[in-house]
Amino acid sequence: MAYSELIKNFEKIRGYMREFYVYGFKSREEYDRKSSRSYDNERRRIESWLGEYMSFRQNAGGKTVFLTVDNRGVSHNPLYKAFKAKSFTDNDITLHFYLLDLLSGDEELSIREIMDRISRDYLSHFAYGEELDESTIRKKLKEYEQLGLLERAKDGRELIYRRKNSGVDLESWREAISFFAEADPLGVVGSTLLDKLDGQETHFSYKHHYLLHALDSEILCELLLAIRERRSVTLTSFVGRQNEERENTVFPLRIHISTQTGRQYLLALQTQMKRPLFFRLDNIRRVKAGPVEPRAEEYRELAKAFSGKLWGVSTASLEPEHLEMTIRVGEKEGYIRNRLEREKRCGRVEQPDPHMLRFTADVYDTMEMLPWIRSFIGRIVRLECSNKAVEQRFREDLETMQGLYGGADDAVS
Amino acid sequence: MLFHEIYGSYFNAVATVLAEAAEGTLTGRKMTAIVQKAAFGESLLSIPAALKEQRWPLLESDFSTPLRHVPTMPLTNLQLQWLKALLQDPRIRLFAPDETGLEEVEPLYAPDAFVFFDRYADGDPFTDAHYIACFRIILQVLREKRKIRVRYRGQRETERCYDCVPYRLEYSSKDDKFRLIASRRGSTLTVKVSRILSVTLLEPYTAEELRPAERREDFLILELTDERNALERVMLHFSDLEKETEKLDERHYRVTLRYRREDETEILIRILSFGPVLKVLEPVTLVEQIRKRLARQRCLLGSENAAEQ
Repeated sequence: MAYSELIKNFEKIRGYMREFYVYGFKSREEYDRKSSRSYDNERRRIESWLGEYMSFRQNAGGKTVFLTVDNRGVSHNPLYKAFKAKSFTDNDITLHFYLLDLLSGDEELSIREIMDRISRDYLSHFAYGEELDESTIRKKLKEYEQLGLLERAKDGRELIYRRKNSGVDLESWREAISFFAEADPLGVVGSTLLDKLDGQETHFSYKHHYLLHALDSEILCELLLAIRERRSVTLTSFVGRQNEERENTVFPLRIHISTQTGRQYLLALQTQMKRPLFFRLDNIRRVKAGPVEPRAEEYRELAKAFSGKLWGVSTASLEPEHLEMTIRVGEKEGYIRNRLEREKRCGRVEQPDPHMLRFTADVYDTMEMLPWIRSFIGRIVRLECSNKAVEQRFREDLETMQGLYGGADDAVS
Repeated sequence: MLFHEIYGSYFNAVATVLAEAAEGTLTGRKMTAIVQKAAFGESLLSIPAALKEQRWPLLESDFSTPLRHVPTMPLTNLQLQWLKALLQDPRIRLFAPDETGLEEVEPLYAPDAFVFFDRYADGDPFTDAHYIACFRIILQVLREKRKIRVRYRGQRETERCYDCVPYRLEYSSKDDKFRLIASRRGSTLTVKVSRILSVTLLEPYTAEELRPAERREDFLILELTDERNALERVMLHFSDLEKETEKLDERHYRVTLRYRREDETEILIRILSFGPVLKVLEPVTLVEQIRKRLARQRCLLGSENAAEQ
């Protein structure tokens, strides 16, 4: 098939975009899972969509391609462009404009009238305009009805179609859409709305802005619909360590999002064992909605009770572990207490004396807290944990870091 | 369905081309400009050809169209449901959009569908009347390109008041805060919106006066050791910054990050959180800061151990 910058299937390009954006050090030869031709086509497509963000580097291992974006400098997520590259047939685009034009205003037409008008009003202007068969038009009308563009009603024994106009004043939403197109996890929908508004000057920029989640928007959308409709889902996920796909049927509960990595996770209940599980959205390949779950409320209550002792997204243990960290603070360092208060996700902060702060928490997996604890290096007076492996890991890491940076007894000032 | 051609750049570009044709103002040059702006890098090879060759019988050879109206498309169910969901977000009060037309629409998701588990707890008071009023005035001056007098509580609770040229509102999802970014006498002024006491509208500014200060940026070079899935964790964590990664051998990578100098302390904390899998090579000032913190830490734990013995 001839090359096109448009795509039929999103899954393949999703993988390449992720590799180019997150890693960006692999050469063409290292994309061993796919053929070289496939690599060349996908790279060319991404370059066509996102050329201004693409960079190349030549080294001993060959040429590497990577996407690099100053997220703080962009007002609109460039990765949304991938969602605007769906391929279509000649009939799809022709019928799109014919149908919406025919049904403009208050026009209501039956299929027969639509067919006649397409021939008379449009195709007659073109020497080679091919007649469109009834089943193609019927299929398109049904599709547009499902999308919400058209609605149908009965006129006697005949079905008639008309445009479904919502009456929403989109102009009054302009700034809200501009903001939420970036700030909302499903902001790509907002991006499609911005395309309808003339001029896209925005007054917003974003810090700590992660763009990659955009590639998982279709999966997120399907999960949100299933959560709303209280349906179970069958997930087909990629299990990296085993390098294979796996299926799980679960009841989806909520989406947990890290604002510090952009990662998104589905919290779901494995209903037979009543065990909560997390699935990374970027590992999910397909979502198949199942039946409505009659015990949905009960499962949601279970999830609420479970969530109170989560630090991150680990369900390694369902027995809480206890952790206490004491840190030293100076006289004019009230901001450290503020830091603890705003960054702790659970637990409590106490001040046993004017120069000490104690943070205490009970969470399922204290090992998940280590990155946060390390961010207080230089102040930690005491670290105690019911999981001794956490204490040990902290001390070992500290020793390794001291080795990496060459000690420096004399560096204390 | 989200991945659908009706939301696509091709459909948008063709709609704009046909709008010009319906108005009788389309030319070949205009078509080229529209496609370049609305579609992708290689779309110029496909869209004009498909229209001119009438594979898509929408445009006649004289650049007129048989369409009777300027093309428009109603909002889809997905778009309406997304808008309805936004009405449940406290931040929507900052904008007050017209809710007409959404009365019967089911929101795409419930307010508790998302948990931002590592978001800081001291986010802005989005429902506070004073905050909303300040935010709206700032948005108005940004729209109208006017100067502003802003009075606010500074870091040490001292009151400050400046005339400045605002140029954007910056939002951080991690902090859940808006900051006003403005220029004042050639330097950048950053003010947390939650600390603003009053905002006064001033006269419009000239293009000359809107001169954002140059960003003070630095490069950071890190050596990454790929243990405990560190490669993926580091790559994702720092994917909010411009970066370049080079593979040194099977376990080691060299990562170059571009960051803003005012964020140096925050960057230091982010690096420390990764422990020994990340080593800062440059800049030297950052290396020194880490050394000092590690030395201080050794003293603290050393004295604790001594006390226990």
